[in-house]
Amino acid sequence: MEMDRESGKLEQIVSQFRSKILHVILDSRVPSLHHHHHQQQQESLSHSRVRKTDKWFNLVLGDRPPALENRNLDLFSLRNLFDPMVIDIILVHRGSCSSSVDNLYSPSAPAAGPADETVIERWVVQYDCPRFIATPSGADACVSYKKIYKKSIILLRSLYTQMRLLPAYRIFKQLSSLSQTYNFDLVYKVSSFSHPFSREEESGMKEYIFAPVEALSGCLSVSVTYRATLSDFNLEPLVSLPPKIITDYVGSPTTDPMRSFPSSDKGAHATSFPLRGARPPSSSPFQRPHSWSSGFHRGFPSTKTQSLAGSPPVYRTSPKPYDIASPPTDLYGNRIQNQRVSTLQQVTAYDEYKSSPPFSPSASPSTPSYLSGTNPLRTRHCSETAPVTIPLPLTGRSTRYLSPNSSDPSRHSLPPLSPRSSKHDASSQESPSGIRSYRKIEALRAGESPSGLSNNYSAQKVVRDSKDDSGRFSALLSSSGSPRIGFSRSSSRLSFQDDMDDCEFSCPFDVDDVDVSDSSSQNTEGKKASEFTAQSNLVGKKSHDAAVGILVHMLRTAPPLRQDSSCYSTHSLRTEYEGGVSIASGFFMPRKTADALEELNSYREMKDLLLSKSGTRVVRKEEIK
Amino acid sequence: MNCEVCQLKELEVEHFEIREVLRCILHTIVFHRALGLVRPKDVDLELFEITYVQCGDVELEKKIDEKIDHFISWVEKHPNKKSQICLSFYEVKSKQPSWFTNKTERLYWEQWYVNLNVTQHPKHHSSKSHHTKLIVDPGESATEERSCRRAMVEASLREVLFQIIKFVNEKKDHVPPISEGVIYFPYEITIPSSSDSAFGMDMIKRMLHSGHPTMLS
Repeated sequence: MEMDRESGKLEQIVSQFRSKILHVILDSRVPSLHHHHHQQQQESLSHSRVRKTDKWFNLVLGDRPPALENRNLDLFSLRNLFDPMVIDIILVHRGSCSSSVDNLYSPSAPAAGPADETVIERWVVQYDCPRFIATPSGADACVSYKKIYKKSIILLRSLYTQMRLLPAYRIFKQLSSLSQTYNFDLVYKVSSFSHPFSREEESGMKEYIFAPVEALSGCLSVSVTYRATLSDFNLEPLVSLPPKIITDYVGSPTTDPMRSFPSSDKGAHATSFPLRGARPPSSSPFQRPHSWSSGFHRGFPSTKTQSLAGSPPVYRTSPKPYDIASPPTDLYGNRIQNQRVSTLQQVTAYDEYKSSPPFSPSASPSTPSYLSGTNPLRTRHCSETAPVTIPLPLTGRSTRYLSPNSSDPSRHSLPPLSPRSSKHDASSQESPSGIRSYRKIEALRAGESPSGLSNNYSAQKVVRDSKDDSGRFSALLSSSGSPRIGFSRSSSRLSFQDDMDDCEFSCPFDVDDVDVSDSSSQNTEGKKASEFTAQSNLVGKKSHDAAVGILVHMLRTAPPLRQDSSCYSTHSLRTEYEGGVSIASGFFMPRKTADALEELNSYREMKDLLLSKSGTRVVRKEEIK
Repeated sequence: MNCEVCQLKELEVEHFEIREVLRCILHTIVFHRALGLVRPKDVDLELFEITYVQCGDVELEKKIDEKIDHFISWVEKHPNKKSQICLSFYEVKSKQPSWFTNKTERLYWEQWYVNLNVTQHPKHHSSKSHHTKLIVDPGESATEERSCRRAMVEASLREVLFQIIKFVNEKKDHVPPISEGVIYFPYEITIPSSSDSAFGMDMIKRMLHSGHPTMLS
């Protein structure tokens, strides 16, 4: 009778021990349970009450997680006492950024991307029944029961300490901090059996077996198999910024509405990306910070719930306030669905962003892509411009024009343009003839391909310039021997507008394209005149770089000098020249060949200087005769 | 009852690391010997990426900190010396009072020796530089050396903690039964005194009290 009572106590110890161990493990490995638990513990601490469950093994852990309370109690039931309890801690690792980019263009792809699940820890709690069960006397049984309880307490203490020394604890701590979300998560699975590890998995794992607690009726043992290192996983934080609409570009608080781009009519949702070294995004619409982030980070919603619909029993957590995923009874699959919805919005936004010129991969340090609901690009395009590099004539275009990283499609696009009205400085310094030709080129190119690629190409060129920004150009220009075109920081941004203006100039100056159009350039000049007249306000904003290049080419293929006042319209130009000839005014006067040649030489010098500063070789051309 | 002794692996630490290292080790040991009702408290080390567990008793924390302060004072007076801190757990047994002995005696059933080698801040090794003149960028190499050294200390500390866990798991039979209402077993922390001979006298005193020869593993 007494022995039965003692035996029953022993079984109760074993059952409670399994429950307590599960509590300790989940509390130290599953962040969502930890948060919920921590809140409750704070409350319980204030009341200084110890629950009955806390008194077991003299270790106060607070309330059991709901998963434990509502769980299937089979694992703890006495009839299953001799079944092992296997607790797998699974690292759910979502795809890396590079792989996630591919999914951007296929909204139907799973929003969470490929999620790798790896068992990083496996705890096995087992109560083995000995072959021969000794039947102790009453006193011995009592002593045995107390000794076993004491040893169980020590075992639990050492397990509690060890849990904080294993590699998975660091991940748990990262996830437990609510300041950031990550591309990984920890879930658990409890079962009475375990799938054996593959050879490859075993090779990276270590095992630690706690000294068993031997009882007369059984032996209580705990072991853990864990991954020695988790550095193989690319565990990184995700975007923590909520989706936000920005409506303005760097450096310019005001924007003007832009014409709609062909692909910008879709509904778009804002997507925000981490910024490096940038001020936090403003809450006002159409405001974008200065810096850009490299790479594309897909924002995952908070996924603090961890549970898997794996082998039974599977225990899911109740929804937490910070959890924007599934309702309590949803399985893992439904959680993914929610993620898909939210990420789909971001995917759509990015598609919108990509397909709308001029945005393209940027080489700038950080590039948040902010999209507004309707035609945000229009506004952005009007806001600012970016400098455009002078392409080398006849030396190929793409590689020289593009920045080193701009070929990466995952790069963010350019910042939007500055307001049209506020920037008239440097662009007004351009030669109208050059500008005319440039605009002609742009018009032709605009008709080439409205696809994102060509727009990307153009934007890439602009990106490079925007990356270098006006600092470089200012330096170049200031060091030129005879700077005939002044340049300022604001004007560099304006040059971007050359490309993006009104959908027609979606790409910057391209010499080769001009070559193609050479045969018809003369004939179409008159036709373009009216166009230029209509867009006279934009002349002042053309970058001198583009203008110089255009001018060079134009002069090479120029028809005989003649006066054609119908080709030029009077522009209201505000000029800033740092000395030198006033090109705009001089162009309206009859000139001799010598004057033109002199002007050509000056432009050539300027071009060479700019190119040399940018590190590209200058290919001297035959002088136009 | 045998007195189980555990000699922990020697740690080479710098002066500013003593407090954290000793807190970590001593509290970890005590947590495994505080078998009464405890509310565990996780503590993250500042110098290392290690989290240890305290049993949450304020008095205990205060006493341990006091001992650590004494030890640090001793280290300042005896720089560049290997030192040992002894954490002992005992039972209080009453005995027949006599002229030379107290009414109660302490029966030490477990002793932990924490071995520390406190070093000064290492100077930048000129041997690493092949130039006899001033090193161009001493800051960078010193930082690398410091971080490398810090990683080594962290790894050693982890080893010590695993050593404690292993010892605690393997030897359980000598632990006395848990008394009602007692959170942790009576303990004693012994630090080196002003002289080595005095430290030896403390050991002899302990032997006289316990009546057991000290067994060094």
